[in-house]
Amino acid sequence: MEYAQDIIDSTQDIFSSMIMLDVTPGESFKRSDEKLSNSISGIIGLAGNTKGMLAIHMTNQAALAVTTAFLGMDVEEIDEDVRDAIGELANMLAGSIKSILDPGGSDIKLSMPSAIYGEDYTIDCLADAQSVTVPFAFDGMGFMVELQLRKDS
Amino acid sequence: MGKTVLIVDDSNTMRKIVSRALRQAGIDFSTILEAGDGQEALAVLSANDVDVVLSDINMPNMNGLEFLKAKAEDPAIKDIPVVMISTETGADIIDEAKSYGAKGAIKKPFTPELINDTLGALL
Repeated sequence: MEYAQDIIDSTQDIFSSMIMLDVTPGESFKRSDEKLSNSISGIIGLAGNTKGMLAIHMTNQAALAVTTAFLGMDVEEIDEDVRDAIGELANMLAGSIKSILDPGGSDIKLSMPSAIYGEDYTIDCLADAQSVTVPFAFDGMGFMVELQLRKDS
Repeated sequence: MGKTVLIVDDSNTMRKIVSRALRQAGIDFSTILEAGDGQEALAVLSANDVDVVLSDINMPNMNGLEFLKAKAEDPAIKDIPVVMISTETGADIIDEAKSYGAKGAIKKPFTPELINDTLGALL
């Protein structure tokens, strides 16, 4: 699916300008429904003439490091601040991707951010959606940004 | 005397980030007030002398556009300038916000310099 480069550009822009972290992209791939472990996912739903979701999946270790850098204060457990920060990252990424899919801004609606976390979980969106996932690395840690889309004809 | 700014965003994280960016931008705000949605923002504006509002658009209860409409109908607060600060900066949405009185828009992610440039013209 296209949009891998848009995900890379948006993610690097957000992390460098808001978190002061340089993140390195890897090769994009199509993620299957394998479980996420000891992780947190920030998710935004897309509705309208294009449906789907934008999600950022982070290991707990990466989420704590990102939230610490984002807020400028030490964070040691997956608490409300971490859930809010990861949800807000997903929100900014979704807004950036939306501006590419829908420059006018009125054809696609974004949901409020939500965050899911736990020892083992899976996330399903639309069964017939196209998807692309881009892995990123920073300071020996990693996260993934996943986009699932279905355009209604 | 320093000025007062109201930050309206349902994300506690983003309110902290905007507060930090305001300090980094070097704008002399003596008081930074916060609200979690449009309804809270209307109450804060009615109870305080606020010089400028920075408001998100996509919020629960009362979103940023609904907040602008409600504020425009209250003579006591309608002239307080509002700048939208949001991931939602499509032309249609910003045109709608400006039709309700918004003075500008800042796209997330943002830099302190962008905030300074935008607010500097209003203060």
